[in-house]
Amino acid sequence: MPPPSPAASPATVSAARAAVATSVDAVALRAGLARCGRIVARHQRELTRLDTILGDGDHGDNLVIGFRAIDDLLADLPPETTPGEILRAVGHRLVAAVGGASGPLYGTACIEAGFRGGDATVLDGPTVAAMLEAAAGGLARRGRCQPGDKTILDTLAPAAVAFRRAIDQGARPAAAWGGAIGEGRRGMRSTRDLVARRGLAMRLGDRSVGHRDPGAVSCLLLLCALGGR
Amino acid sequence: MTDRAALLARIETLERESRRAFDDAQREADALFAQYQLSQLVASGGSPGDLARSVALEAVRLAAVDGGALWLGTPDGSGLHLMAAVGTPAPTELPASIEDLDDGRLWAAGLSGGRAVVVADETPVILLCLWAIDARTPDPDGIRVIQLARHELTVAFQGASLREALERERQELTAVVSGTTDLILQVDSAQRVVRLNPAGERLLGVNAADALGRTCAEVLGCEVVGGHGSSACPLAEVMLTGRPVAYRETAVRGPDGAPVRVAGGYSTVAPMASDADDPLERAMATAILRDISAVRALEELREGFVATVSHELRTPLSLIRGYTETLLHLELEPAEQRAYLERIDEVTGRLAALVGQILDVTHLQADPLILERAPVLFASLVNRLRGDLEASGRPDRLVVDLPDDLPPLEVDGPRVGQILENLVGNAFKYGPPEGLVTLGAAVDGEWLAVAVDDEGVGIPATERPLVTEPFHRAWNVRESRIPGTGLGLYISRRLVEAHGGRLRLEDRPDGHAGTRVAFTLPLLRGRQVPPGRRRLPTKASTLHEPKRA
Repeated sequence: MPPPSPAASPATVSAARAAVATSVDAVALRAGLARCGRIVARHQRELTRLDTILGDGDHGDNLVIGFRAIDDLLADLPPETTPGEILRAVGHRLVAAVGGASGPLYGTACIEAGFRGGDATVLDGPTVAAMLEAAAGGLARRGRCQPGDKTILDTLAPAAVAFRRAIDQGARPAAAWGGAIGEGRRGMRSTRDLVARRGLAMRLGDRSVGHRDPGAVSCLLLLCALGGR
Repeated sequence: MTDRAALLARIETLERESRRAFDDAQREADALFAQYQLSQLVASGGSPGDLARSVALEAVRLAAVDGGALWLGTPDGSGLHLMAAVGTPAPTELPASIEDLDDGRLWAAGLSGGRAVVVADETPVILLCLWAIDARTPDPDGIRVIQLARHELTVAFQGASLREALERERQELTAVVSGTTDLILQVDSAQRVVRLNPAGERLLGVNAADALGRTCAEVLGCEVVGGHGSSACPLAEVMLTGRPVAYRETAVRGPDGAPVRVAGGYSTVAPMASDADDPLERAMATAILRDISAVRALEELREGFVATVSHELRTPLSLIRGYTETLLHLELEPAEQRAYLERIDEVTGRLAALVGQILDVTHLQADPLILERAPVLFASLVNRLRGDLEASGRPDRLVVDLPDDLPPLEVDGPRVGQILENLVGNAFKYGPPEGLVTLGAAVDGEWLAVAVDDEGVGIPATERPLVTEPFHRAWNVRESRIPGTGLGLYISRRLVEAHGGRLRLEDRPDGHAGTRVAFTLPLLRGRQVPPGRRRLPTKASTLHEPKRA
């Protein structure tokens, strides 16, 4: 019998929020991933609308399908599964369940972060910073992209840099998440004025200017959900 | 100890192998994803130029080089043409066209840091050239991804060329449909309009956007204006029978609600997809119609001409023939002979006048009508008219009421004389034998407003717009047996309009029986009466108490 979903109990959620303040364990990560599922469902239409302009118009729908699959996955994982293992499993499920390029890209990011997390049961600030960097690095390698190409990376890369800087300056993870989300949002907004150089939007050339990249937007939503916002 | 060292070495080997396997798997996953992205890109459509640019950009990225260019072969194999160049400019200028793949390879070999990648050697041939500034070797994995996609790229470029050709054809067809002066209307199976071209919008006075989705009966108004009933709709007929209607005349509703005579053909459209999103793909029948009002008017003119000529020419001719036969065959007294000759003379005069009018009409059809304008006093034109009337013995029946200080006109004098002669002549012809004809005039702004009032039978209101058309005579004068050609008022109206003025038929403002013909003539520029001295048209009062001239 699978364990009850951690997100279902309000007590577990508040415990998870409290845990984010200093470190992240499996319960807090599961709560964060459940929030990811809810936040993409709330923004499904907007994400799909943005993708209709620049891509093939299925980004919101794909992510909703992917995070439903992750809800099922989390229910199947034993409670003792470490955060790193959870992220690797989530990454593989995203690659398999999410259509389009975003599945392999988010999947790669999760798998790389999961590897970096190792088999620790509790993730401290410097580990989370390294995991975010690994996620951004893996996504850049797989997508052959760099910041400024109008992709997910325009949100993820500055967020990872900001998180690392805050941790190095002695900030607690909760404060570091705040800074990371702020920089991620700035990066997401910058995609409006960028010419797409990766993905389907690339074929639009200069006509891609004036629209935010749907991947950059969804990445910010996921960072907000993971950071407990 | 040795066992332990061997074991450790074995573990190290295994770890290395596992690491290599992991790296290989990562590279394979990267290549798979790159292939996926490339195939998604080429499947997304676009013109050959857009596609070439996307593919070149992706190739530069995959091979981790600085720039690239793509040449595409023509379907007839007449060479390769440069379609796109991206990234850092090439060290030497790129040739706009290359003869064949071997030439391309040769050229690329001469390019420092360049590398030619033959993406496809079947039609269409695709040649990619990549270069790096520091002459580094392109990433072999990236090159492999590009070459694995060769079949997809070939299909994509074939598709793009086809789409481009189709799009060009569609644009040409649209240009024909939009540019034609004939109305083109298409309906779906429920006779709802799915296309109306700009000429149709003009003819009907509707917006295509408003017409779409409404039935053809609503948009064309065929039944309302008496074109044809809903049971006789040619569009319904061609859909039912599947056979085109080559020519049919009907009427549609024009911008002002009046009927417009149209003629044209109707045909069915081969069904494409009845549930298509694009309404044009649901088109089932097409009507191509032409406004034939002008043709009809010409035909009516011709019919009127034939009728008039057959009547107005034959009657006097038979009279002349009768008189001449009498003169030839009967031994008449000189006085009787003279009487017959006088009648022949009179009838010949009528014939000459008719021929003159027909010639005038022919001349008036010429566009533009050339006028010889000069400053003329209206009073002098009236005096000349009065002189002509004295010769024909009816001067006392013309009452002239003109202000003394009328400014000069700028008109073609003889032409205006002809107008007066026609109108005053009509007034006498259709009035009672002792009836008076009143001629008045007053300044109205830059115009002289002239009115000719008679005491005749009047023109029925419904006939007024028609009697100024050629050969048309009101029913009450046709019944009166007063001879006429139906050209006088038409000639007068055309001459007034040629001067920029307007001619109208009205009731007499004083309430007496009869007709007023009112028209305007231009005053000499710069000589209008100043506003303070302007005489407003007071024809009603002046004409009511006419001064006998």
